[in-house]
Amino acid sequence: MRVRDVLDARLLFVTGKGGTGKTTVALALARLAASEGRRVVLVEVDSHRPTLASWLDLETAYGPVPAGPGLDVANVTWLDALVDWLTGIVPVQRIVRLILTNRMVHLFLDVTPGSREVVLLARIEALLGSYDQVVVDLPAAGHAVSFLKVPQQSASLFPSGPLRRTLDGLVLLLSRPDTQVVLTALPEEMVVNETVETWVRLTGFRPSLALPLVVLNKALPPDPDPQWRADVRRVAARHKASHPAGAVLQAGLWEAEREELTADALDRLSREIRARVVLVPLVDELPGPLERVGHVEAVLGAALSDP
Amino acid sequence: MTASGLADLLLERRVIVCVGSGGVGKTTLAASLGIEAARLGRRVLVLTIDPARRLADALGLPSFGNEVRRVDVRGALPEGHLDAMMLDTRATFDDLIRRLAPDEVRRREILENQVYRLVSDSFGSSQEYMATEKLYDVVATGRYDLVVLDTPPVKNALEFLDAPGRLARFLDRRIVKWFLTPYDENRVFGRVLIGTSGVVFRLLGVIFGREFLGELSRFFIAFRDMYDGFRERHEAVTRIFEDQATAFLVVSAPTEASVDVATFFREELLARRLVLGGFLVNQVHGWGPEVEDPADILEPLLTNLPEDRARRVRSRCAVAYGRTKAVAAREGPLRERIRRYAHPDRVYAEIPLLPEPVRDLEGLDAVIRHLFPAHPDP
Repeated sequence: MRVRDVLDARLLFVTGKGGTGKTTVALALARLAASEGRRVVLVEVDSHRPTLASWLDLETAYGPVPAGPGLDVANVTWLDALVDWLTGIVPVQRIVRLILTNRMVHLFLDVTPGSREVVLLARIEALLGSYDQVVVDLPAAGHAVSFLKVPQQSASLFPSGPLRRTLDGLVLLLSRPDTQVVLTALPEEMVVNETVETWVRLTGFRPSLALPLVVLNKALPPDPDPQWRADVRRVAARHKASHPAGAVLQAGLWEAEREELTADALDRLSREIRARVVLVPLVDELPGPLERVGHVEAVLGAALSDP
Repeated sequence: MTASGLADLLLERRVIVCVGSGGVGKTTLAASLGIEAARLGRRVLVLTIDPARRLADALGLPSFGNEVRRVDVRGALPEGHLDAMMLDTRATFDDLIRRLAPDEVRRREILENQVYRLVSDSFGSSQEYMATEKLYDVVATGRYDLVVLDTPPVKNALEFLDAPGRLARFLDRRIVKWFLTPYDENRVFGRVLIGTSGVVFRLLGVIFGREFLGELSRFFIAFRDMYDGFRERHEAVTRIFEDQATAFLVVSAPTEASVDVATFFREELLARRLVLGGFLVNQVHGWGPEVEDPADILEPLLTNLPEDRARRVRSRCAVAYGRTKAVAAREGPLRERIRRYAHPDRVYAEIPLLPEPVRDLEGLDAVIRHLFPAHPDP
């Protein structure tokens, strides 16, 4: 299994701990796929403050809107997805309205664990009908696992009926080999812990996931010669932070640490979950989110041409 | 107000809630505040969610079981001390059911219900909900002068601020009543649909399947006379949030995403008239006065090294410093935005990005020196 196969997936979920660059990586992946001639839709899930809208400077909505050649974006909101789903099973508009305007049903659907995820996933599945690839910017890692687990987990509760049929379809969809997950992470102890844990939990109910592809953002590829790290530490230990050169030494110390954290992350991710890790190195200056997306896109593009 | 106001918060408040996005060092800051408060003579509990392993080890925290551990704080006043507890979400939820269920039979009935399993997976893994649950417990013991709550990372302030009500909403009397009305409680299977909601109810039966509705009513029935317990707890947590002796501290890093979350927290806290104690900006780049030529200034410090190694250190540090300067420049306006939020009478403090992650009590002391600059070394 190669990186290429993961990225060729028809349905690609991107998740990771908050602040690890999920949305950046999701947009970069979607652009890459679109640049290869595929019709791609990038989906934000039930976002109250859609990030993509401000990055791309356009109004996102439930229905996909164009965001570049071959690329659309959509914000799949729960209530719209619910209407869609109900319309699919109860073709009579009047009855759909009756259900939706009943306050109790509303309250019930809103708070019943799982019902939210099911209708959102059903909408994501429907989008596959009009696109070659659907990239989903999932909620932060912990939530993402519960999100993807819902169809399988709630199946036993619903032995029959339209909801059960939806669940069966979703379980099937989520276990297809061309449904894949990409994780984002940072070279930091806590983040690596959570990344490993997320993968273990995901494969616990989805053994068919191909390989853990981890995009490690803000990484610093370890210098093959570790001598400079020991040297800068020795020099820094002899001088106070208030020394005129203090700021320079501190910056050096920080990057020495970052190199080691990157090495630790690479080591743990490959040892504990046998992950294929794509390093996105720190760069000197990346002013805006779209420049960051461009950087990640270039790095991922290069990783793709790797055998 | 500056960081000196932070010591006043530690002395005057009974609860400090650290909120903000993930990865900004809330746990580290909560632990630092706890240590400082113990040094000021208060009996403190720091309730953390998911500390880095090494930090947890430094605090002497076991990884599960909601156990309280005493932390050895150097320089604490005799009357002050620091306890730490790591939240175990699963244990907290089970405790809650155990406490509210009237007897063993009912408890088993609930634990075996399929709807409960789904609910508990959703609520039991909800750190937001469980954090507020535990907060209520520890405040109610009355054993502490101050409880510092480290909160789970959220993308959206509402996820946390609305957490206490989530389970209460699910067990809302109106929903439960509406669901149970069409049923004869004793004959869940042989029921008669009555009332105006009969049509909608039958539709739900079609969509969800009658089996599910049956299981759901069994769930609601099992929870009978526990609703008030949940509601009371919800109200108690809300009272703690609203108490004038509680203060929220908004923690952020100087990044756009994190400052957006901080902004949203500020708006929500103000709208809800909760006490917004102030803002802590962590991981700020820029260590001291600007350096014109970073390679040059290092030169005299590297005379002990062989030339090639000295060159290497010089060039690596110069590159690192250049990156730092670029990042620091981008952080300027973001820090300024938060500083304005704090103006004029809220706490504002900045903590620089430390060259090494905080892994032990010494590391925490480095953070404390930045939070409380006037404080002499213990």
